[in-house]
Formats: sequence, C-alpha cells, structure tokens
Amino acid sequence: MTSRRQLLKSAVLGGGAGVLAATAMGSLGPEAAFGAAAPDIVPGAPDPNFAEGRIRSVKDNTLFVLGSNMVFHRIRVVDGTSLWKLGPVAFDQARPGDGLYARGVRMPDGVLAAESVWLNIVNIKGHVRNITSERLHLDHNGQEIVCHQVPGKSVAVYSDAPPSADLSLLRVGQHVQVLGAWRPDTNQVDIATVFSPH
Amino acid sequence: MNGIAALQPYVIGPLLVWAAVLKLFGRRTRAQAGRTALARLVGAARAVPALRLVGVLELAVAAALLLPPAVPAEGAAAAALSAGFLAYLAYARRAAPMSSCGCLGAHARPVDLRGFARAGLLLAASVAAVWAGPHPVDAPLAALGVAEAAALLALSPELDHAWLMPLRRLLVRLRRPLAVPSPEEVPLEVTLRLLYRSPAYCSASARLSSDVRETWDEDGLRFVVYAARGRAVVFAVPLGGEDPAAVRVALIDEPAVA
Amino acid sequence: MARSQSADPPRDLLGPVQGEVSWFCCGSAWGPCSSAGHGACGTCNSGSMQHAWPNTSDACLSITRPDSCGVSLSRRTCGFTHRTTALCTGTSVVTSIADCGPQTDLFCGERSCCGATCASNRLLDLTPAAFSKIASLSAGLRPAEISVP
Repeated sequence: MTSRRQLLKSAVLGGGAGVLAATAMGSLGPEAAFGAAAPDIVPGAPDPNFAEGRIRSVKDNTLFVLGSNMVFHRIRVVDGTSLWKLGPVAFDQARPGDGLYARGVRMPDGVLAAESVWLNIVNIKGHVRNITSERLHLDHNGQEIVCHQVPGKSVAVYSDAPPSADLSLLRVGQHVQVLGAWRPDTNQVDIATVFSPH
Repeated sequence: MNGIAALQPYVIGPLLVWAAVLKLFGRRTRAQAGRTALARLVGAARAVPALRLVGVLELAVAAALLLPPAVPAEGAAAAALSAGFLAYLAYARRAAPMSSCGCLGAHARPVDLRGFARAGLLLAASVAAVWAGPHPVDAPLAALGVAEAAALLALSPELDHAWLMPLRRLLVRLRRPLAVPSPEEVPLEVTLRLLYRSPAYCSASARLSSDVRETWDEDGLRFVVYAARGRAVVFAVPLGGEDPAAVRVALIDEPAVA
Repeated sequence: MARSQSADPPRDLLGPVQGEVSWFCCGSAWGPCSSAGHGACGTCNSGSMQHAWPNTSDACLSITRPDSCGVSLSRRTCGFTHRTTALCTGTSVVTSIADCGPQTDLFCGERSCCGATCASNRLLDLTPAAFSKIASLSAGLRPAEISVP
C-alpha cells in the first residue's frame, strides 16, 4: 500500500462524507468546473479538445495519433490523465495500432493535454445471433462481431437492475448494446458491459 | 433419374411462389427495397418496381413448372432465372457488400455463402427439371423432395428466426455457455453502476474531469479515484454492497506521487 | 406514415424531455466503425459535436419507431440543434443532427439512473466527442434531458 493510497484512503474515510459539499470547491458550478475559459464549440463542428484515431507511436509521455480524417494528433498523458482499456490501465498499456478517443485541453502549441483517454473503446448495438462458450456473436449492421466474456470484468446490465457478472440471461435473437474493447484489426471485442433492455 | 427430374418442379415451384408473394405483397419487403443490392443496380426509385417485376417472373415460372403439361422449356426458364439470381448475387457481393439481396423477404443480412449455395442448388434443380415428365411419386422420391426443400430452407437466412434461432436458444438453455461460477472478484463495472446511483456521485460528478484513474480494494471497500482539475476525487464503495447511500466521497488536493 | 398512437403533440414540442442517451461512432473510423459511413446526413464524424435523432424523416421513423415505446418526438432534420444535459451532473452539450437513430423500439422500457433520478427509453445518440463532454465514454448509457437551446 503506497503512502499515496494511504493518504487518499484516510481522506475519504476520515474527512469524506456521503455527499460533496457545494462549497468544497468555492462556488464553482459545473460549467465553470469544465473550464469556463473554453467557449462552447459550434454544434456540428469538430471539437478541438477531442481527438480520435489510431496510435501510430508512443514516445515518452506522448501518443502520436492519426485521425480518421488524416489529421495528426499529439496527445500528452500526465499523472492526472485516466487511461481506459477494458478498465483503468497504466500508460504502458497504450500500444501502436490501438484505436483511441481522448478528451482534454488543446494547448497553444497544438498538443492535446489529455484528461481522459479511451483505448479501443466501442459501443455497438446489434442482434445476438448465437451464444457459444463465453462468446456472444453479434450481428452489427450485417457484420459479425464476436464479443468475448472476460472473467472478472464483463457484466450485464438488465435495464436498471444492479449489474451482474452472470450473462446467461441474454437470449439468442435479442437486441443488445455491447460496450467493450476492440481487439485491433479483428472483428472481436472484449465485453466490459452488455446492456439488455429486459 | 426420371423420377428425380420429375420431382424438381415441385421443389422449385413452391419456393418461387413464396419468393414472389413476398416481393409482390410483403410490406416490409417493399419498405426495405431501397436498401437492397437491387436498389444499387437499378436505382433506389426503381427498386420497388424492379422487385415487383422479378416477383411476376417468379410467379410465371412457378406456374409453368407446377401446372401441366411438363415441357423442357419450363426447366430452361427456371434455369435462366436461377442463373440470373446467381449473377445478381455475385454483383451484390461485389458492388454492395453490406446490403441485403431482398430475395426472400426483408432482412438486413448481406449476401453470404448460404445465399450462393441456395441459388446454386436452385440452378441444379432447374437444370434437372428440363427432363421432367410425368412420374409416379414413391416414398424414396418423396423423401428426397423433403430433403431438398429442407436444404433450401436451411440455406435461407430469412427463415432463421423460424428454426435456427429457437434451436440456438434451446442449446443455450441446455448448455448455459455464459454462466459463471460465483466470481471471487467483484467486477469494477458492478462497483461503478452502484457508484452512479449514489448521492456521493451526484454531488461530485460535475467536478470530475477524467474517467477512473485508479482503483484498489481494501477492508471490504473499493476505492475509486478520479481527477478533478488538478485535484482528486476519491470514492469509497462497499464491495458487494447494494446501498448507494453507503458510498463516501472526498475531494482532496492531489498528493505527491510516492 | 407512422401510425400515431395519440393525437397529442410530440412531447419534445411541449418542453424538455428526459430519456436515455448513448453514443455511437461514425465517419469511417477505426474498429467496427470502419464501415459506418458519414450517417444519414452525410456529415457525421466521431470528433464533431453531433447527434442522431429518431425522427429525421419518414424512413428514419419507420426504423426507430419511438411511438412503439409510447414516445412521440417531433420531426427535426439534419443540422437542427438540441441541448443534452446529463441528469444529476448538470453538464450539458449542444449538438446538431447528423444521423438517424437510436433504435428506440428495440430498447423499449429500458431505464437508466443517476443518483435517484431515472429516465426511460433511448431518445438520442451522441458522437464520442459530444458524449465525453457530459459523461465518460465507458459509462455507455446515461439518463439525460433533451431540450432545444
């Protein structure tokens, strides 16, 4: 247990509460907390504080990403940045070839200082064509996507019921939404969450 | 051989009638005509009339096959139609690989191997039908007819919902391939969904500037850390708990990395 | 023409509506998005502040069928802007219509909650750029309020 975690733990158990006081951060409202300096982006326009593409290379703490519109992004990851790859991961999990979405703050030199990075995250809706051992075969717009159940990670959310690691209530023929991590250059996805309407 | 040839009109005919009826009278088929490869071939505006024309042709060939007398030209017409189907499928696969064929009703699945196999079987049966003549039906012939019809149905993805899906559901119910033994570890997503329902999350979420940065388990609690614009928000969520009100939160200055 | 189940005006004309909001990718990007295309309006990109609406045309409505969930929404075409506000966080984003979706009728009655506030039925899908402004992409599905800015 690092001393940093000790500090965080004692802060929430000692000084924490059931709700965060409104005055905890001055009188900042949500708009201000999200950077009052940044003007709203024009609807329909690209958001400069967001990047999408595939990682071409990783150097020091920077991800070099080629967007689908052929725009090149430099994305800087710092201590406060979260990285997701089927769950929170460390920076060394970012690999060339990974698909990426990142949100942060665009710096004057064009670098995106990332606040959140999501690697290979997909959110696909489709019909369940078949269920085989630990696999859900999804028909996504006519394309077959094989979704893998990952022990200890995958859950099913049946409407607003508490989520369950038990995916066996899913039925062949039903429609679902799969949030998961794409395995690059394949038609396969590891399941983080399956959303089922019933 | 004569028997087999004589059988073919009675296998091909009903399938053609069915396909024709769906094209001529099926509302969903017509509604989705614009998304088939046929629309790509003739233009979206002409997709429905083209579909209707094909339906009329199918009905005409089916009528010729099923009604006496049996003439070689009927088999030839069916073979020409089947060859046309094969060519159309090949075109669909090349030019519009993501669109459906619109062959037997409305469905969104693109043209695949099963479609080609079905068209190929239809072509073979049509060619055999050229030699069709009157022939008594005996048990083996009837069995062959049933087998051929079953093969054509099995190769039709439009009909999967009638037999393949129920079969798969039964197998899933018997085998339970996604059932897990009670997990030792609580997946993080279970914790997060409980967190999202908590007053603690509600009060803090507007200040969060990142996704989950780190998480660890200790003393029956799962600690979940987010960034909050240079500071950190820490939640303590009971593991295996179901009461959102039990979640605690604190906003703290980011401690130096140990 | 969709069969209307009631003579009431579409709910979103009377004021903000609450429902579920998810995200989708578009613009021929990486992964399963590579065949997605630029949406029904031809302009959709994952990095832009855009969304999909269930009633952009008759053809769209015949696919999404929100009326089968008892929800009637007004006809809004490409470029129309909506404001989506995440329930219980209050963060919001303004986006313009770039595609037809979500498939409301396939998820009828589904509910999502934030805190004690819940909403039912999928009414709108955001691009990743827009969704990440009001929630984490990993959340996948969130209750929200949809209004006209």
